[in-house]
Amino acid sequence: MRKALDLLYDAAAWAAAFFMVGILAMVLASVVGRLAGFNLRGSDAYAGYCMAAVSFLALAHTLKRGDHIRVTVFLDRFGPRVRHALELWCHGVGAFFCAALAVFSVRLAWQSHAFNDVSQGNDATPLWIPQLAMAAGAIVLAVAMADDLVLAARGRKRDAPKDAGAPAAIE
Amino acid sequence: QTKWDMPTPYPATNFHTENVVQFAADIDKATGGKVKITVHAGASLFKAPEIKRAVQGGQAQAGEILISGYANEDPVFGIDSVPFLATSYPDAKRLWTASRKAIEERFAKQGMVVLYAVPWPPQGIYSTKPLASIADMKGLKMRAYNPATSRIAELAGAQAVTIQAAELAQAMATGAVNANITSGATGYDTKAWEVVKNYYDTQAWLPKNVVFVNKKAFDALDKASQDAVLKAAADAEARGWKVSEEKTAWYLAELRKNGMNVVPPSAQLKADFQKVGATMTEEWLKSAGADGKAIVDAFNKK
Amino acid sequence: MDLFITIALVVLLFALLGSGVWIGLTLLGVAWIGMELFTSRPVGDAMAVTMWGSLSSWTLTALPLFVWMGEILFRTRLSQDMFRGLAPWLQRVPGRLLHANIVGCTIFAAVSGSSAATCATIGKMTLPELARRGYPEDMTLATLAGAGTLGLMIPPSIIMIVYGVTAEVSITRLFIAGVIPGLMLAALFMAYTMVWSLAHPGRIPPPDAPMSFARKVHASRHLIPVVTLIAAVLGSIYVGIATATEAAALGVVGALVLSAVQGSLSRRVFVESLMGATRLYCMIALILAGAAFLTLSMGYIGLPRRLAEFITGFGLAPFWLLFWLLVFYMVLGCFLDGISMVVLTMGVILPTIQRAGIDLIWFGIFIVMAVEMAQITPPVGFNLFVLQGMTKRQVPWIAKVTLPFFLIMAAAVGLIYFFPAIVTWLPARIS
Ligand code: NA
Ligand code: NA
Repeated sequence: MRKALDLLYDAAAWAAAFFMVGILAMVLASVVGRLAGFNLRGSDAYAGYCMAAVSFLALAHTLKRGDHIRVTVFLDRFGPRVRHALELWCHGVGAFFCAALAVFSVRLAWQSHAFNDVSQGNDATPLWIPQLAMAAGAIVLAVAMADDLVLAARGRKRDAPKDAGAPAAIE
Repeated sequence: QTKWDMPTPYPATNFHTENVVQFAADIDKATGGKVKITVHAGASLFKAPEIKRAVQGGQAQAGEILISGYANEDPVFGIDSVPFLATSYPDAKRLWTASRKAIEERFAKQGMVVLYAVPWPPQGIYSTKPLASIADMKGLKMRAYNPATSRIAELAGAQAVTIQAAELAQAMATGAVNANITSGATGYDTKAWEVVKNYYDTQAWLPKNVVFVNKKAFDALDKASQDAVLKAAADAEARGWKVSEEKTAWYLAELRKNGMNVVPPSAQLKADFQKVGATMTEEWLKSAGADGKAIVDAFNKK
Repeated sequence: MDLFITIALVVLLFALLGSGVWIGLTLLGVAWIGMELFTSRPVGDAMAVTMWGSLSSWTLTALPLFVWMGEILFRTRLSQDMFRGLAPWLQRVPGRLLHANIVGCTIFAAVSGSSAATCATIGKMTLPELARRGYPEDMTLATLAGAGTLGLMIPPSIIMIVYGVTAEVSITRLFIAGVIPGLMLAALFMAYTMVWSLAHPGRIPPPDAPMSFARKVHASRHLIPVVTLIAAVLGSIYVGIATATEAAALGVVGALVLSAVQGSLSRRVFVESLMGATRLYCMIALILAGAAFLTLSMGYIGLPRRLAEFITGFGLAPFWLLFWLLVFYMVLGCFLDGISMVVLTMGVILPTIQRAGIDLIWFGIFIVMAVEMAQITPPVGFNLFVLQGMTKRQVPWIAKVTLPFFLIMAAAVGLIYFFPAIVTWLPARIS
């Protein structure tokens, strides 16, 4: 179970990274296209879809790495019991809103399909297709938040974020 | 009391928005304050591409959109942007009369009621280089923001270029873009004279804004209020067409006053564009099917 | 009623934030509850549409790319090189390398249109190096948070584009009008840093051994890569190769090329920079989405609009009108991001501004300053968020140490009021 969940978060993160490269490729396409005399129709819209995909697909991974920021100065002032209760509260609130986000992201894609909502630009993409990434990312986030809620209930300490990239020297 | 939210895409000072505000005020007055419409201008509630689906989904009760933006969804929505089909206000009016039923049916199917439509001034070409004939457009970088404008660029031999409206001025100043099709109104609003010298008043087409309402919200009104809304809509339509036409000349005069070279297209350029228009009308007819043909036939009958 | 709604929402916001709920989810939660309580509109669908719209919009595309560029540069020798080149010249200046933040942000602001991108990119390069050299963390973060806001004032600027479109004023002129106030702010920031350093002599690390002028010039060769990169990106905008948004993509390519030339680009470095950027951007994106939804919720409730109507309803003289507007934007700026503030209130405020005979270009710069200040006021301040994301220091602390820079900006607003030529002189010269 643990392994499957971690794999899920990682897979979503890799997909997000792929779309990050996608943003770069799409923006470069419009720059190079103007110079070289070709036009990749809708490159601006595709860049936007890639960006939304990055934003949502990476949510769970970012949460797990402790990179979503929160104000914990007050939390840290309390003793372990209150802190535990507050952690449960935060994860409970988080799980609720992430679940809502997941439900309505799925509904967004479904409605776009039902309404036949099509991009107005050169790409003419049916919008439910890029919105699938949003729905998928929101679902994975909801799962991750529920996962964390369970872990918090079992008394896991809040993980200190470790990021190879962060300037850890500053203290 | 009924409260409606009405998102619209254009700034408060735009004549379309002013018309919508008047429309809302008329309804307020006619219903004795029973129907209050809050106009959220300048895309302050929903962004332009989201307004139609927000009304369709019931998140807003009424809205205003540029109807040709939805040509990707259904070619019939793009009828007013087929170049050189209807190029004057009377023609545009006839085209609207001929197409209104088909557009209303489509909105009805999606749970919405069309209230009125008001055109933008006719579309012309802003160009950093002088254009005597369409041959001069060869290799020109022309902004193309949807399939129709891309096709025009292609048929004219120009290079279609992707650029955001907000960055257009910069792009024209630096030469990343040389040409752009839009109305005198937009040129005035964006102070086009700062970056481009020539405006060819080709009068290619008159795109329209459509104002519409969610059908459930409309049906929830009592009969008297519904009538008041429809009456105010009819007034707004009449008023909007008049203002739009009056402003056309004023906008062009302003462009001239600011040092732009505002000229009608040469006979050659005009004839060349007519050819482009004929090709695109044919293509449009092919994609729009029987409904499209019925509209164009009704329009051509005079 | 308005007072009650305002207080209820503010209490809710502080309760959720203070209890440790993630910032993006707090904004989402406050928006949700506010809409549920004070409007009759369907909440969930409106939320999803708005989040999708804000995160897929082209206005944002530069942000993830600049964040990525910063992550690549952070993994090259570029930042050490930059400091090696700069250090000899700054030895005599009080505050020494603290100015690298301000100068770096000022230059990068000419490339990037957003303050978050400016803060993230420059911060990635300067923070580790300044910490390594022993510069005090409070001033390091404060100068970065303050100078990062210049991304909005020095052209190109996303907020000026939004204002220009809303107010129908020339975006080109707005851009030109921002140059002198932007440089003035940078100068004020540097002046404050010098004064602070003279007042706290023990806190700035000691200077290196003095160098001859020739050696200084020789050391400057280390600046060549940075200068080349910035010049290439900036140049691409002004010769028409790329637009202001697209320049970020050239920045990423340039950073990759530089790190390849330096020999520091490996598969591992590439993947790490990519994943680091993905996470940092994702963190910002969740907050942006929450902020967009809060803006929508506010639009439905009508609170900013009614407050703006309230202020403009008094028929105040220009000075007091601007004074109360500044207060209004300061309060609003605590809770909304800059673009939302402009979009939500301009419709009501602009007619009054025009009637009062205030120049719309000047007012645009005034608004940009107000928005800049909002970037560093808690609880909702994007530069604070970016810095917490990069340092793990907490928003309240960062906001506290940044306060002097907030006050400097307030003083700068006073300056442009009493000397409007700071804004209007340059646009009147050009074109
Ligand atoms: Na900038
Ligand atoms: Na703030």
